[in-house]
Amino acid sequence: MTWTAVARKDFEDAIRSRWVAVLSVLFVLLVSAAAYLVRPAPGQTISSNQVLNSLFVRDALVTTLVPLIALIVAYNAVVGERESGSLKLLLSLPHSRADVVFGKVLGRAGAIAAPIGVGFLLPAAILLVVPAVNFDAASYIGYTLLTAVLGVVFVSIAVGFSTAASSSRRAVAGAVGIYFLFVPLWGAVRFPLQFYLGAGGPSWLPLTGQEVLRMLRLVNPTGSFKIVSNAFMQGALYTDGDVNMQVSATLMLLVWILVPPLLGLLWFQEADL
Amino acid sequence: MAAIELDGVTKRFGDVTAVTDLDLTVPEGEVFGFLGPNGAGKSTTINMLLDFVRPTAGEVRVLGLDAGRESVAVRRRTGVLPEGYDVYHRLTGRKHVEFATRSKEVEADPDAVLERVGIADAADRKAGGYSKGMRQRLILGMALVGDPDLLILDEPSSGLDPGGAREMRDIVREEADRGTTVFFSSHVLGQVEAVCDRVGIMREGELVAEDSIDGLRDAVEGGERLVITVDAASEDDLDAVRTLDGVSEAATDGGTVTVTCDADAKTAVIGALEGEGVTVNDFQTEETSLEDLFLAYTEGEGVSA
Repeated sequence: MTWTAVARKDFEDAIRSRWVAVLSVLFVLLVSAAAYLVRPAPGQTISSNQVLNSLFVRDALVTTLVPLIALIVAYNAVVGERESGSLKLLLSLPHSRADVVFGKVLGRAGAIAAPIGVGFLLPAAILLVVPAVNFDAASYIGYTLLTAVLGVVFVSIAVGFSTAASSSRRAVAGAVGIYFLFVPLWGAVRFPLQFYLGAGGPSWLPLTGQEVLRMLRLVNPTGSFKIVSNAFMQGALYTDGDVNMQVSATLMLLVWILVPPLLGLLWFQEADL
Repeated sequence: MAAIELDGVTKRFGDVTAVTDLDLTVPEGEVFGFLGPNGAGKSTTINMLLDFVRPTAGEVRVLGLDAGRESVAVRRRTGVLPEGYDVYHRLTGRKHVEFATRSKEVEADPDAVLERVGIADAADRKAGGYSKGMRQRLILGMALVGDPDLLILDEPSSGLDPGGAREMRDIVREEADRGTTVFFSSHVLGQVEAVCDRVGIMREGELVAEDSIDGLRDAVEGGERLVITVDAASEDDLDAVRTLDGVSEAATDGGTVTVTCDADAKTAVIGALEGEGVTVNDFQTEETSLEDLFLAYTEGEGVSA
């Protein structure tokens, strides 16, 4: 098992990409902007959790931008090496194709976690020294980690596509398709469905309308992420509220991390380079 | 034991057959030159040894292992310089060697490796800025990490200047002296003659010859070439020459007649020309060069090996 060698090489390579530097700066600016927008009025104090819970951070930055960026960081992971020919160099060393795929997932996961970490933790330094902000370190670090997990989910999906795609154009098409499906489109479909199914749904369905809606929320990784992160920020993760839903959402995220690369690998195992 | 064993191997890509029913055995410790023009199936064969592509039919064994199922074990003991590779542009030469070291799970000093292939001074530069020749040296260095039992080099001298090609040959020889089996492909003959114990020649997906250099030379019909300066010769005159025993080829541009023939047929050739009324002013013989030999196998028809 040499996938850690692949991961380390891939991380060292990806981290030197201009993308990662640009993204780190972008995240720092956006999180700082969010902190500024929800700044406390004179004489009041706020918690750092309010910054994270703001619509700007949670909905715009994390669940909209992080998936996009993760897809950008990872769509070319395997097919790019295939097209340039460096995959031949990689596979002339004693790596199995599974080592390559999972090494790539780990390496690119690191490459997305780095800008997320920098982007959240640098502004934290500012929040820490502002007296009007109660800095809740555990929530802040936990939320940063959860955001990184969401990034890793989309990295896994992109690596899966990248492994199975025969050209980087197809890998891009797959990544763009996944993004539109899970980010803008899902919400657009769910919203009207909510009215329809919320009222009970069609009688031929073996499930109630509410159950279908819950499943739709779970299947989308950004939905699962919101379930887990909301529970976490309320200090209720796996202890309070709809615990079954939280556990399902956690498992769902895990499924999204493991299944796409496995499907890509199934195809890749049989492929001629 | 055989280092490489191909048994009835065929590889088709769609309806294009790249390699047809190939049988080839390379014993351990041998330096084997794999020759042929571009597109003859050399790289496809090498790619099957490394499990980059899978044979449509037949069996491929490398170092006694199944090349498909046990590929990782094969590559653990094999150093490879593949064709059509690229380096990691953002990583330095040193990082590349460290990656090879970690991948093979061995200990090696990157500086010593880069020193051996002559690019130690570029160790900390990004490989994206390397010339073709330097990249070639870098990959060779990565291949040598961990003292492999088998070296597979696909067109190792491409991109190297003559000095670099000589160093490449020196390294091949050093490795062979250490007992490493070396399998390398080339469409350039000069390197092959100098270092190979044996060669195989591929043509249109088939192995058309497999022998030592001397053996191949003997196998080509007409070991010598006769170059005759004449006043004027026509195709009709040559027909008389072509019918002679021991003559495999004859051609003329009008003032010069070139005949490939057995050594003892020379007198008869000149006699036949004079019999046709051609005035022979001068003649000289040349031993068939390796280049002619190669062309005879890959393009010519007068081969019965």
